[in-house]
Amino acid sequence: MVVRRKRRTFQRRKVCRFCVDSELQIDYKDGKTLRYFVTERGKIVPRRISGNCAKHQRVLTTAIKRARQIALLPYTTIHTV
Amino acid sequence: MRKYETFFIIDPDLTEEAYTLAGDKLKGIVNANGGAVLTYVPWGKKKLAYPIKKRNQGLYILMEYGGGPELVAELERNMRLDERVLKFITVKLEDRFDPEKEEVREIVTPSAFEEDEETAESEAGAIEEDEAGAEAELAEEEEELDRG
Repeated sequence: MVVRRKRRTFQRRKVCRFCVDSELQIDYKDGKTLRYFVTERGKIVPRRISGNCAKHQRVLTTAIKRARQIALLPYTTIHTV
Repeated sequence: MRKYETFFIIDPDLTEEAYTLAGDKLKGIVNANGGAVLTYVPWGKKKLAYPIKKRNQGLYILMEYGGGPELVAELERNMRLDERVLKFITVKLEDRFDPEKEEVREIVTPSAFEEDEETAESEAGAIEEDEAGAEAELAEEEEELDRG
């Protein structure tokens, strides 16, 4: 039987970081910024957790995938054991 | 004419001379195919996120240029053949582009890129702590998925 996990009590208002700060550009060459939006395993953090708006999440996803191609971000960390 | 940028990684073990030679060759290809190199900026040596051709470090170079699609095909073909180029990515920046109207921009090498790996890591860690709750939730989900 699947036990429903209780909803987490803290519900901080999430805002899109890129909407708030217009200076912050999404660029696939900027691995440092992109790193905030991937998990330790290198997965892209979903919108419901990062709080990004749909528009920026789309752009961000492309940027992360490009960054992976050019080895700025890992595809996965498992193989590098 | 379109505006493109090619971001590529060169073998870090090359000598200074061989490195300039490789750059000149690529710039030559752009010019020979009716293109114009706008910027050619070395971004410095950086650790790769995963090994490429058994190398863990790479010399990143960003080149912006104007040209047609045939030029990109030719440039990429040459990069594939060239052993010195480890990897590359080409992105179209503008569809319509006139090199004469291009204002002269200052060449800026992003300071973030030159920084030590360690400092970058520690900052990323701080943010992760901030979102520790969310991360934990995600990790739990990942685990659940793994168990299937």
